[in-house]
Amino acid sequence: MNTVAAPVERTLDDRLNPILVKEVRQSLRGRYFRWLFGLTLLVTTFLALMVVTIAASQSSEVRIGQEFFLTIYACMGGAVLVLVPFSAFLSTSAEWDENTYDLLVLSNLRPRHIVWGKLCSALIQALLYYSTFTPFLVAAFLLNGLDLLVALVILACSIATCIGLSLVGIALASLARVRALRGVVLALFGAGLTAGWAASLAFVVELVQHPEELRSDEGQVAVVVYLTTALLVGGVAAVIAMARFSHEEENRSTPMRVLSISLPVVATLWATWLHTISSDSEFAWALQIAAAHPLLLMWIFFVSEPEALGRRTRKFVAGRRGLALVLLPLLPGGARGVLVFGLHALIALGAVTGLNLLWGSAPDELFEGLVIVGWFYTFCFVYLALPTGLLGVLGKADRNRILVRVLLVVLWPLLLFVPVMLGALFGHASAANWEHPFNPYWVLMKMQRSDAKEDALLAPGLVLLLLAALTFALNVPRLWRAVREVLRPRVEGEVRP
Amino acid sequence: MTSLEVVGVTKRFGALTAVDDVSFTVAPGEICGFIGPNGAGKTTTMRICSTLELPDHGDVRVEGLSVLEEPRLARRRIGFMPDAYGAYSATSIHDYLDFFARAYGLHASERRRALERVVEFTVLGDMLDKEIASLSKGNKQRLCLAKTLLHDPAVMILDEPAAGLDPRARVELRELVRALAQMGKAILVSSHILTELAEMCSNVVVIEKGKLRGVGGVGEVTRAVTQKARIFLRVLGEAETCERWLVERPGVAAVRREREGFTFELEGDSEAQAELLAALVAAGLRPVELAPRATNLEDVFLSLTEGKLQ
Repeated sequence: MNTVAAPVERTLDDRLNPILVKEVRQSLRGRYFRWLFGLTLLVTTFLALMVVTIAASQSSEVRIGQEFFLTIYACMGGAVLVLVPFSAFLSTSAEWDENTYDLLVLSNLRPRHIVWGKLCSALIQALLYYSTFTPFLVAAFLLNGLDLLVALVILACSIATCIGLSLVGIALASLARVRALRGVVLALFGAGLTAGWAASLAFVVELVQHPEELRSDEGQVAVVVYLTTALLVGGVAAVIAMARFSHEEENRSTPMRVLSISLPVVATLWATWLHTISSDSEFAWALQIAAAHPLLLMWIFFVSEPEALGRRTRKFVAGRRGLALVLLPLLPGGARGVLVFGLHALIALGAVTGLNLLWGSAPDELFEGLVIVGWFYTFCFVYLALPTGLLGVLGKADRNRILVRVLLVVLWPLLLFVPVMLGALFGHASAANWEHPFNPYWVLMKMQRSDAKEDALLAPGLVLLLLAALTFALNVPRLWRAVREVLRPRVEGEVRP
Repeated sequence: MTSLEVVGVTKRFGALTAVDDVSFTVAPGEICGFIGPNGAGKTTTMRICSTLELPDHGDVRVEGLSVLEEPRLARRRIGFMPDAYGAYSATSIHDYLDFFARAYGLHASERRRALERVVEFTVLGDMLDKEIASLSKGNKQRLCLAKTLLHDPAVMILDEPAAGLDPRARVELRELVRALAQMGKAILVSSHILTELAEMCSNVVVIEKGKLRGVGGVGEVTRAVTQKARIFLRVLGEAETCERWLVERPGVAAVRREREGFTFELEGDSEAQAELLAALVAAGLRPVELAPRATNLEDVFLSLTEGKLQ
């Protein structure tokens, strides 16, 4: 038996992710996990017994199964939606705290191995929690009153959320290299996880008490959208973490750029699927707008990258000029980030046109979709490329890169909130009600109302077009430099592929 | 053939030029001391050699592989022991070494052999189950060295490996480094403890403000520096007067006061020393000892550098 098993065991052992092996060993050796695990189990058992005792002493009408399940979910949610992602954050930030990042870079481990190992170790913790809660969940089902489908959907959603949040935790810890910043991010992340856990409780209570909602078309769509969103957010977070774990001197951008293209494509596939359930043409543009939101973070990163290609990244330039031009948006650099943004806009507009033509929508619907997506992308273009283009013209973009990134992140909520506050301060009712041209969501809603299209939005639309033209003009010099850098022949002594 | 070849490396951080056109080589089996004051650019150069930083100009070749063009292949030949060494403190020595052996892609049998080899070399066998947090500084450095040796690199880059070690641990580390050189590994080692380096290095590279100040064999660099003789002088009383007299005397430079006398550089041969002695007596000073002093690495360092930071 041993002679047969030994080679298999060795092969499996060799294939295990080193980070996973290390993390699991550390968890088992450390007190943090053992204490939390024991405590969670103890609290759950106590609460479960309490619920059963109280419910049994009440009238027979009470659905004990539901109450039991909700109690167990509250404990399980705390473990898999708060503790597991939190420990993923802590284990990633330990790489900065213990100065081990350089050692990882020097080993054969690639960033994807690091992120995958961290995620797997978080999932093993989650698996331990799930296995602990399984007998309680079975008991909840046997106590009657609990819909099996609802319980399974809740479990599936909690697994997807755990994966998504763990990856977000890893990404946030990878972004916060400075100790002080890490403390702030840790506190915010912990608060966010706790709030999310509380919100999920409300959602679960609703589902458990009204299982019929899950069987409706809307309910099923909501579940699929939720699951895919959780995994998509996790995917974006994983890509960000991988970029951060790549060494500064490596090409961090191209894999992110390639993966970012998948977002509008996934949005198009969703729209196609949703259209089979409810033949509404609005899915075509609505999902492109939704996909643009996770892309915003990536765009901010892309457009604020250093303009010049590094000595190690220069070798990624294709040898043929034509190919080099086609692949231009995928290379690192702020100006080339504007180009990848343009590529996303083209995909989104192409998807809206293609889907509407495929569905045989009326020309009005196609036009509406194109105007809405076009407007939103133009708004984002000005938001992203105006400040970075201006700094590029002033020659200060590279030195103030981090500042620009922080400013861009802060600028979006500022654009939304400041007019509202000013409206409230100076008695401008519509601005105070979020109805102002800097609120892209209000403009989108306005655009859907046919009566308001031509008059109310004409002035803001013209201003936006003027700003877009100015933004484009400001970006022309750096765009030209970005093209020229890729096309210029390599000089002797430069790195070659 | 050289194992490590640094060719015209320049690295800037904004307006600061951390390393300015530095070139040197390290051959297999050679221990090369890397000397310079704090902020001279030693760590930056070592990080460039280890592929962790990218030079703005120039290149580094590790066994012929460019750190620019083939960083991954170069890394497999480099063992870098950084100054601020990282360790997972809540891990045991075995788990730590096993993790890095896995991270270097060593398969089960290779991993076992590598672990046995490095544990035996660094004499860590008795404490494999100990948690890293509980180790002494000396044992931590041994562990770091063991980790650095796991993938059997041809080039070792050790940044201040003796910092914070007690004398015994320093001697042990020195023996380990010598043993590594005997195995044919090229070793670039930086340290502030120059006597330590003098005892184990065959070559030295002196750097200050990012610029190369001297490079070559210890004897070679010493001879280049000791065109001026270094003299020790002890006088009876009147130390202040004597110091002033020496500073003002032509041909005398780098006057330093020591516990019982002075050291200074003197241009010329024995004739010049005899003239100086006569002049001292004529000036009413009372010399009791005047002798040339053997130049050590510390003197070389002080002669070549001005002690200025970046």
